[in-house]
Amino acid sequence: MKKIFAVAKWEYLEKVKTKTFLVSLILTPAIIILFGLAPTLLTGKDENSTKIIGIIDSSGIFTRGMKNELDQYKLKNGAPEFILVNLNDKSQNERELIYSADSLVLAGRVEGYFLIKYSGANFSQTEFRTKSDESSHDYFKLKDAFNKAQIKFKLEKENLDPYLINVLTSSGELTEVKIVTNGERHQRDFLVVFFTSFIFIILLMMMILSSGGMLVRNLVEEKSNRLIEILISSLSTNDLLAGKVLGLSALGLTQVIIWSLIGIVLSGASVIPPHAFDYILPQFIYFVLGFVFYTAIFVGVGSLVTTEQEAQQITSYLSLTLILPIAISVPAIENPNSPFIHVLSYIPFTIPSIMILRFNIETVPFREILITSLIMLVSIYIAVNVSSKIFRIGILSYGKKPSLKELFTWLKEK
Amino acid sequence: MLKVENLTKEFTGTCAVKNLSFSVEEGKIFGLLGPNGAGKTTTIRTILNIIKPTSGKISYNIRKPDDNFFNRIGYLPEERGLYKKSKVMDVILYLAEIKGMNTSDAKSKAAVWIEKLGLENMPQKKLEELSKGNQQKVQFITAVIHDPDLIILDEPFSGFDPINQQIIKDEILSFAQSGKIVILSTHQMETAEKLCTDILLLNKGEEVCSGALNDIKKKFGSNSVKVEYNGDGTALNSLPEVIHIDNYSNSAEVQLKEEILPQEFLRKIISLVEVKYYSVIEPSLNKIFIDLIKQSSN
Repeated sequence: MKKIFAVAKWEYLEKVKTKTFLVSLILTPAIIILFGLAPTLLTGKDENSTKIIGIIDSSGIFTRGMKNELDQYKLKNGAPEFILVNLNDKSQNERELIYSADSLVLAGRVEGYFLIKYSGANFSQTEFRTKSDESSHDYFKLKDAFNKAQIKFKLEKENLDPYLINVLTSSGELTEVKIVTNGERHQRDFLVVFFTSFIFIILLMMMILSSGGMLVRNLVEEKSNRLIEILISSLSTNDLLAGKVLGLSALGLTQVIIWSLIGIVLSGASVIPPHAFDYILPQFIYFVLGFVFYTAIFVGVGSLVTTEQEAQQITSYLSLTLILPIAISVPAIENPNSPFIHVLSYIPFTIPSIMILRFNIETVPFREILITSLIMLVSIYIAVNVSSKIFRIGILSYGKKPSLKELFTWLKEK
Repeated sequence: MLKVENLTKEFTGTCAVKNLSFSVEEGKIFGLLGPNGAGKTTTIRTILNIIKPTSGKISYNIRKPDDNFFNRIGYLPEERGLYKKSKVMDVILYLAEIKGMNTSDAKSKAAVWIEKLGLENMPQKKLEELSKGNQQKVQFITAVIHDPDLIILDEPFSGFDPINQQIIKDEILSFAQSGKIVILSTHQMETAEKLCTDILLLNKGEEVCSGALNDIKKKFGSNSVKVEYNGDGTALNSLPEVIHIDNYSNSAEVQLKEEILPQEFLRKIISLVEVKYYSVIEPSLNKIFIDLIKQSSN
């Protein structure tokens, strides 16, 4: 036991001092902040300033109705969210009007403009012309305003009582609410889900890659200078393995703690949405399970390689299984109930990241948490055992990589 | 006592060591000799429990090697190298710690060795900043710092200049004097000849010859003596004990009949010439090595 700690201490201290560690410590959160903050900052800016919306309404009879509808949207500070500006100019024909209005949009002077062609009975071919192609909140608000104004206009035209018009056109809004505990409200925000899930999955990935990479490089060094012979003539391979995994986990934990501190500071500065830490505990558990699982695999695979190049190859193959969940996370957020996602949440390689993701999307049944955690624990047990057997023999075989058949004979050895 | 019985190690397709048996007692320097690929390193690795033997038994003081045995071994592998990016002292302390030493013991022992091997200015330097010879010294320290009872040295002199070779030789001799078991694997026959009390000569995984070095030399010697003298040397030429003589102006190399003891012959010639120098000519270990390997390879 004393020797396990000696190895762990060595692995930890020697790696904490390396430049690679420092760089990954700083670079990773920087990348994540970049990833995560860019959309937050962009949308944040949009929601905090008044936007100028143009309107070209050749008949002129619709402008007032639109203005009334858009005036209902207020910013948090009470200022109007949209200001409607009439871009109509009687001296210009339609083509000239569109041309000059388009150039205003392109120059960023107005956010976009309504082009309304009223043919007497219907609003045919009404367009909202804008530069941004996002199906953003803005678009839905503008569309909503247009539809309401349109209905009111038509009802007024039918000479309906203004009071009745009001009653008929007022409508409740549909808000999506995620049920977490009975009766509590939890609004689902795509951005928050996306961001929080990504923080954890990317952190997990970066950590596994950087520490796994370090581990493999380290094994290659010990193998090539025969230090490994001194090590295993000093302590058993199991102790050596345990010490290495322990040291690396401590290293990983150091990273997580430092990153969490950065996260808390950023969330305190309300840069990171506060919801991001709602499920921190279960997510942390999956995080640790995933880390240990992959580290065990790295040890086994790492003991088979003899050169730096091979080490790099292996590391990149393994990282593919980690990136997969990120690639499928967008459809997963959009459709968390798809069978595909459910299958992936029972495969040890994808359990950690998919479960981290699912916590943010939906309420995960306790039964599933239990089952997937058990799957992870069993997988870790198997991975550690298989890896230590491969490690036992792999670290002493130099040169040629073993064939699959040889690997199986290794596994059978006691 | 370290005892190896019927050790066999097969790798896929090849047999690295075949049915090897030997034992080494405390206070002896045991030379494990043989050409490249003879199975020396495999034998060492098996003793160290780095690899498992296909069959055979290794025991230390009659017991099977246990965890404590790990702490009693010092090992200097043939291919050297330590953590290049790490500091000398850190590496020494780490390797001492996994040999079961506590840090304060390791520190004081390290200081002693560092002084002994002239590395005073090095402890806080990174290993890669040291010369090759000094790196070797650090590695030597890591092999012996925990005062092991069984020291296995694979080519301990490679990379050392003659002065440092002498320092290491002295250390090895003092290990044996203090009752440790030293196993020395080397190609340098002259060094082995000077240091080893017992040898085991291996070729292609099999024992070619083993035993006390003196006995082996006697066995392969041709019962020859060298005489330096004043006087009329021609008297020596016709003696009945002589099979062959190379007589120079005042020295001679004489091959004696097998049953004649060298001291008998000396007693006889004292009356004929004034003997200034008399010695038994032994074949060099180098010659024995080459002859035996050639023989066993044919």
